[in-house]
Amino acid sequence: MIFSKFRMLLNVVTLWLAYCLFVSMPLCHAEDNFISEQAYLQDFPVVLSASRLSQPLSEAPNAMTVIDRAMIQASGFRTITDLFRLVPGMYVGNVSGHDTVVGYHGVSDQYSRRMQVLIDGRSVYLPPFSTVDWEDIPLNIDDIERIEVVRGPAAGSYGANSLQGVINIITRDAGSVGGLQISGNKGSYGVADVAAHMGQAGEILDYRLTLSHREDNGYGASILNDGLFSNQANLRANYHPLGPDSFDFQLGYSDSRRGLGTAGKVDDLFRDVNATSGFQQLTWLHTQENGDETRLHFYHIYRNYIDGRFSSANAIAPVTQLTSADRQDLELQNTIQLGKSNRMVAGLGVRSDYVKSPDYLVVPYAIHESRIFAHDEWRIDSSTLLNIGAMAENDGLGNTNTSPRVALNYHINPQHTLRASASVAYRTPAIIEEYINDPGLTPGQSGTYVSQGNLRPEKIQSKEIGYLGEFSSLDLTLDVRAYDDHVSDIIFYDPALTYWPFGFANLYSANYHGYEGTLKYHWNDSNNVIVNVARQFMSCDATGTLTNPGMIAILQGFMDGCLSQVPDYSGSILLTRRLPHNTQVSAGYYFQSSLTMIDAIPQTMMNRVDFKLTHAFGVYGKPGSGELALVVQNVFQDNYSNYSLISETSNLAFGRRAYLSAAYNF
Amino acid sequence: MSCYRFFSVSHCLIGLIAFILLFPVPGSAAPLRLAIVLSAEEGAYREFGSELSALLADKNVTVSVTDADNALPASDFVIAAGLKAAFAVARFKPAAMLAVLIPKAGYGKLLNDFSAQIQSGTSKFSAIYLDQPIKRQLDLIRAALPNISSIGVLYSAPPMELGALRMIAAAHKLVLNERLLNSALPLHAELQELLAGSDALLALPDAAIYNAATIRNILLTTYSNKVPLIGFSPAYVKAGALCAVFSTPEQIASQSVGIIQYYVATHILPDAQYAKEFEVTVNEQVARSLGLDIKSASQLRSEIGTTK
Repeated sequence: MIFSKFRMLLNVVTLWLAYCLFVSMPLCHAEDNFISEQAYLQDFPVVLSASRLSQPLSEAPNAMTVIDRAMIQASGFRTITDLFRLVPGMYVGNVSGHDTVVGYHGVSDQYSRRMQVLIDGRSVYLPPFSTVDWEDIPLNIDDIERIEVVRGPAAGSYGANSLQGVINIITRDAGSVGGLQISGNKGSYGVADVAAHMGQAGEILDYRLTLSHREDNGYGASILNDGLFSNQANLRANYHPLGPDSFDFQLGYSDSRRGLGTAGKVDDLFRDVNATSGFQQLTWLHTQENGDETRLHFYHIYRNYIDGRFSSANAIAPVTQLTSADRQDLELQNTIQLGKSNRMVAGLGVRSDYVKSPDYLVVPYAIHESRIFAHDEWRIDSSTLLNIGAMAENDGLGNTNTSPRVALNYHINPQHTLRASASVAYRTPAIIEEYINDPGLTPGQSGTYVSQGNLRPEKIQSKEIGYLGEFSSLDLTLDVRAYDDHVSDIIFYDPALTYWPFGFANLYSANYHGYEGTLKYHWNDSNNVIVNVARQFMSCDATGTLTNPGMIAILQGFMDGCLSQVPDYSGSILLTRRLPHNTQVSAGYYFQSSLTMIDAIPQTMMNRVDFKLTHAFGVYGKPGSGELALVVQNVFQDNYSNYSLISETSNLAFGRRAYLSAAYNF
Repeated sequence: MSCYRFFSVSHCLIGLIAFILLFPVPGSAAPLRLAIVLSAEEGAYREFGSELSALLADKNVTVSVTDADNALPASDFVIAAGLKAAFAVARFKPAAMLAVLIPKAGYGKLLNDFSAQIQSGTSKFSAIYLDQPIKRQLDLIRAALPNISSIGVLYSAPPMELGALRMIAAAHKLVLNERLLNSALPLHAELQELLAGSDALLALPDAAIYNAATIRNILLTTYSNKVPLIGFSPAYVKAGALCAVFSTPEQIASQSVGIIQYYVATHILPDAQYAKEFEVTVNEQVARSLGLDIKSASQLRSEIGTTK
């Protein structure tokens, strides 16, 4: 495995040199630092400008779950996807040890296409499948500052494909890491992770750099080849000359080798997948004296996924599947304060996606998307906040969509807030859905896919009411909501002839409604509990026209089973208790009633308990300090089943596993 | 003239008499020759100079404004705005000098450096400090954040007011977490450690720690730790601090007029003092984002204005 590609090394070295040239110690050594009046009279640029400030729950136009560093640390999870178990209504399923399905309010296949995923504003929801390959993202879980999960459509604020929700990952600031930290996990199921975090905050340049390796044997079952061996690098630097401008520069690189294949399946032989991905991102932020700001954001992502599907000696013919995607995106956004009680965010952006996948697509495709958006936040009076926003986009596939949202937050008093919102959003058909042409030439393949094209985007109409109670004197927060979402024109498999080939068509609509709640309680200064509960209902109606009307019985069968696509009940409890001697104990309970994804084998109920014991030593953050932890996942060995397309793997249990974790600051 | 807080009663009475005496009885006395010396002809210094000149326009005073690099004009009374001006003026051995826009620590150094000339009676010095009294700052913290139990301070050397800070914090039932910055370590680690146990961070005018090069990362770190920063100038609040109490050059100019009048009447300079008038500013966006239900700046101003 080639870890340090030349291009990345060059970038790192360049940045390091820049750092050495420009940065000096932040401290001056004046004889007496208190005598001059300059400290009182000097001016500063706006640092905490609108784009740096997170929206409090009581003012957010959507239901939102925030996963912060304390929750990440308490959970004991070592993958980003597991964190979404802490979001009410979120589904996290494992196809294999490294192939995770994350969906909000159910998914219609393993690609889970109805949520936007952003990392520092960079969309990692990638073509041609329009999904997120979580293992490919060059981001270490320890570099996450917080995750804001917007539960509901939010295209006006987060862009295209923010259909059922948005996962907005905010990484740690460039200046937030001092010195060097080495950390690692070692445990059962081949868990062997190591990471080095280093960084420094300077006068005009901050940087942090993470090099990490992650490795495990997946489910550790002989029927599944699902080990993971991944190397990643992530660099974030911020150049901030002493003025109103700052430049945030990020680059990342990931190179992973993962096992794929199911024992005994001739079309799914044991083999390796090699996936490489990388990104570069530059954000220029200009802040004015009055807090208005202009943000110009550019990023480039590439991803190459090589499935050695038939390169095995047992294969009928040596065929390797390559899928590559390349995205460039440029966005300009202005935040303008319109008087004391009104603030507007407006902007425009263009995106270019290029996809090459000879096995699925006859020719490479380049899709050019463009968008304009505006969002206004109006404080009508001290207790009423109105959010109105919309995005209009040309999705590059011939569709022009407008996604509006309106939300009213009413503060009965500072403790009690009511929220009502309504919104519309769209999901652009995936390139695969629109253009797939896979004539089944790969040996052993059980069927063929030929898309008819001309798909319409999926559309959601969402309504919700919510209540937020923040009782600071009790250290208690209660956040509940009821929602009613109607998704129409859902794109689904369209069996063209007797069964194969499959195409895709806008075939059905679905109604999602239910209740969700989060309770947070902190007591005695050392105990913390977060409880999430979701009650979900779903129904489906066939609304489209099948290419072959004779296949209606198959579609109707899916419609009849639709109700069980979401679990009746699901939720989590995360309990943390600080003990004497710098020790902390935390436990997570994750439950989900049985369900049957529309294309998968029925899943049994989940009742999983994770446990973590942490002991910190030394003075926090200083050289010589660190942390030791023991994590046990699925402590009581609950044999819940997971997302599985084939009966052979449907009973694979997520075995109890434990790992030791250590971190040391140099 | 609300002088009950920072003048003694006798000073108040004399001041009142002076006020009456100075008030225009045309031709009754030669006008006072006042020199205003500015550290720089810009910003707060210029604002102060303009405001003071305007306030004295109808008084029996001739005003000359100059900057610290020029020779001191012939004068009976000098107002020096800023540390540089105060030191420059002191070297000319003026009969009476009021230093303004100068921190208490800066004035302390001035007294120390020119102690011989003061003790010999050659010069009389006084000052209106640019700092706010510690009590006023803690009153603001209490009014703005009534539920907090601890505040943190970070300094490169123990500030002059540290004793007062400890005492008043204890009186406000606030645990004071102090960190002396060891320059061998990065600021970030010290700050992280301090913030972990503090509900708010009180910025001190310590140029080694709080300066244009460090303010960005200090604010980002406090914000990501959900700990509000309490500033000491409007610039801090604009940048992202939660709130600050401060006095404007206009307010200091107005107080200077009172001292000039008192001096004219008595030839006595009152003791160096804090600014009587002050303002509060709040960054509402930061407060909201931190989930703080904070009172408005005017409410806070009136609340701490009434605390004793």
